[in-house]
Amino acid sequence: MDDVAIRAERLEKVFGEGDVQVRAVRGIDLEVVRGQVALIMGPSGSGKTTLLSMLGAMLRPTSGKVELDGVDLARLPESRLPDFRATRFGFVFQDFNLLSSLSALENVQFALNLAGTTGRKSRERAEALLRGFGLGHRLSFRPEKLSGGEKQRVAISRALANEPSVILADEPTANLDSKIGHEIARLLRNAATEEGRSVVIVSHDTRLKDIADRVLWLEDGEFREINEMAVDPVCGMAVERKPETPHYQYEGQTYYFCSPEDRDEFAAEPTKFIPDRG
Amino acid sequence: MKRVPVGRRNLFAERRRALLGVAGVGVALLMVLALDGIFAGAMKRVTAYIDTSPADIIVSQRGVKGMHMTSSSLPLSAVEDIRRMKGVSRADPILFETNSLKSPKARALSYVIGYVPGGRGGPVTITKGRPPGPGEIVLDESAASKLGVSIGSDVSTLGRSWKVSGFTGGLTNIVNTTAFVRFDDYAAARGTTGTASYILVGAESPAGAVAREIEKETGLTALPRPEFSREEAKLVRDMSTQIMQIMTIAALLIALAVIGLTLYADTLARLREVGVMKALGTRTRRLALIVLSQAAWMAGAAMALSIVLAFALAAVMSRAASNISIEVTAVSIARVAIGAGVVAAIGAVAPLARVARVDPATVFRRQ
Ligand SMILES: Nc1ncnc2c1ncn2[C@@H]1O[C@H](COP(=O)(O)OP(=O)(O)O)[C@@H](O)[C@H]1O
Ligand SMILES: [Mg+2]
Repeated sequence: MDDVAIRAERLEKVFGEGDVQVRAVRGIDLEVVRGQVALIMGPSGSGKTTLLSMLGAMLRPTSGKVELDGVDLARLPESRLPDFRATRFGFVFQDFNLLSSLSALENVQFALNLAGTTGRKSRERAEALLRGFGLGHRLSFRPEKLSGGEKQRVAISRALANEPSVILADEPTANLDSKIGHEIARLLRNAATEEGRSVVIVSHDTRLKDIADRVLWLEDGEFREINEMAVDPVCGMAVERKPETPHYQYEGQTYYFCSPEDRDEFAAEPTKFIPDRG
Repeated sequence: MKRVPVGRRNLFAERRRALLGVAGVGVALLMVLALDGIFAGAMKRVTAYIDTSPADIIVSQRGVKGMHMTSSSLPLSAVEDIRRMKGVSRADPILFETNSLKSPKARALSYVIGYVPGGRGGPVTITKGRPPGPGEIVLDESAASKLGVSIGSDVSTLGRSWKVSGFTGGLTNIVNTTAFVRFDDYAAARGTTGTASYILVGAESPAGAVAREIEKETGLTALPRPEFSREEAKLVRDMSTQIMQIMTIAALLIALAVIGLTLYADTLARLREVGVMKALGTRTRRLALIVLSQAAWMAGAAMALSIVLAFALAAVMSRAASNISIEVTAVSIARVAIGAGVVAAIGAVAPLARVARVDPATVFRRQ
């Protein structure tokens, strides 16, 4: 086994047939090694969710393959996929997706149960994880009683519970304010650095670039060169540097925006958005 | 091997829904228990006249094995024949029919029994007043209160009017009551001579053997009292089972509807979480167990509630000294428990089918 935890080869997903056919993912190659954080960015509709679902063994590719720890997921029978998801993957979602009738502790224990850890052992492991993330005083709280940051920390504890090879995170910071978002980013970074897991994050949040080892730009189902990217100075999102993108010249520089509204807002008072170059 | 009890948590997380569901199912199950209990109580009382009779053997017209909705007629001369037989200590004729008692206030369906004073067919206990003299009648006290009559009042039955001389007790059930008059009065009122309906026999040796002797000698039907009581109970039960079954099934269908709808509503509200559980690697089998355990907890809680309510109802009924007594038996609790189990399993079918169809990939899609 090499150092690659998850590898996609010529991965392809086509939805529908004939006129309504959509090639959501078009022959993508991707390798993420242990300890690495890969950030995938791209406009909506570019295929991020589809790619993530295939990487996480929830969606069958039309062609190509996904290898996890050397095992080709596409060749596994349907009946083995749930165990694979339970033991090899950790999932983190934008809207946390905790089970609402279970306490924080039970949410983590539930994941442990799926991998065969039950009873006191599951309790102790769940408790240790949650305490490690500063949630010792929230063990018996149901999700509705937790703040967004706390919920996401419970979700990350759940994702790490079975010591997975790969963590797949979908917009993990989108519903959090920037300080909490930064903290969550750090936890994901630590999971890679300190525990040697591979972390794949799909996000619009450019701040996550700080913790990523690699940033990949997905568009129309394919990866593009990252140097074609710019940051919209108004909303902070990554946008592509090309003629069709709304843009604006100011003091000899071209700025790119994710919408004409952002451009107009910028044009009205550019200094408000440009960092001091003093 | 202890796992997080997701089904139970899901049920009780939604307190109001859980409470309504459990209460709904509980009341439906209570209906079954109460019906069963009323029936058991009634059955006990239906045979009260026979069960409290001092007779060892009851002789009836050939082929007749009960009193309810039947008529029996035999020659009065058989009484003398039987008295002369070995092993027989005494033989008393009674006349019997089901008729209605009428007072100015109400009517009541009644077994009317004509017995020979001093013989064994009369009321075993007189709670008030005295046994009937000529032209007099003894009523069961709860029928008397329903009819609004007291000692000295007039009641009509068998086509004539009678003066109430006393009361007896414990001989009224939900179907009918029991009243006693003198044999001669009865015969005169009905214009019969030389016939009786049944002969109550006292035996000195084992009743079974004596009964067989009587049958051989007279050609009539003779049954030891316990057997006659069982036959009588069977007769009534056979006539009531169908309606009981229909009502039981109706109540269980209500329970099914409540469990099914509550569970389905809860499952629909949780489809997103079902997707999450699947994405995390939960097998459909485990999800099925979660849904089933939720159904089982609901049925179990409802069952407990219905048992408590049934005993409470039985206590209230017996305190109210009503004609309806409720006997909550272990057998009927077991029956209802099985019914509740079946209902829970069937109620889980639609939610299970829905859960099985959830695609785990939906978790990454935002609603
Ligand atoms: N289940 C599906 N059936 C048909 N088309 C789909 C389905 N899922 C996604 N698509 C299409 O595939 C493309 C990529 O979608 P998606 O992976 O959701 O992109 P993103 O997550 O980057 O917004 C879109 O054009 C979308 O409409
Ligand atoms: Mg998406």
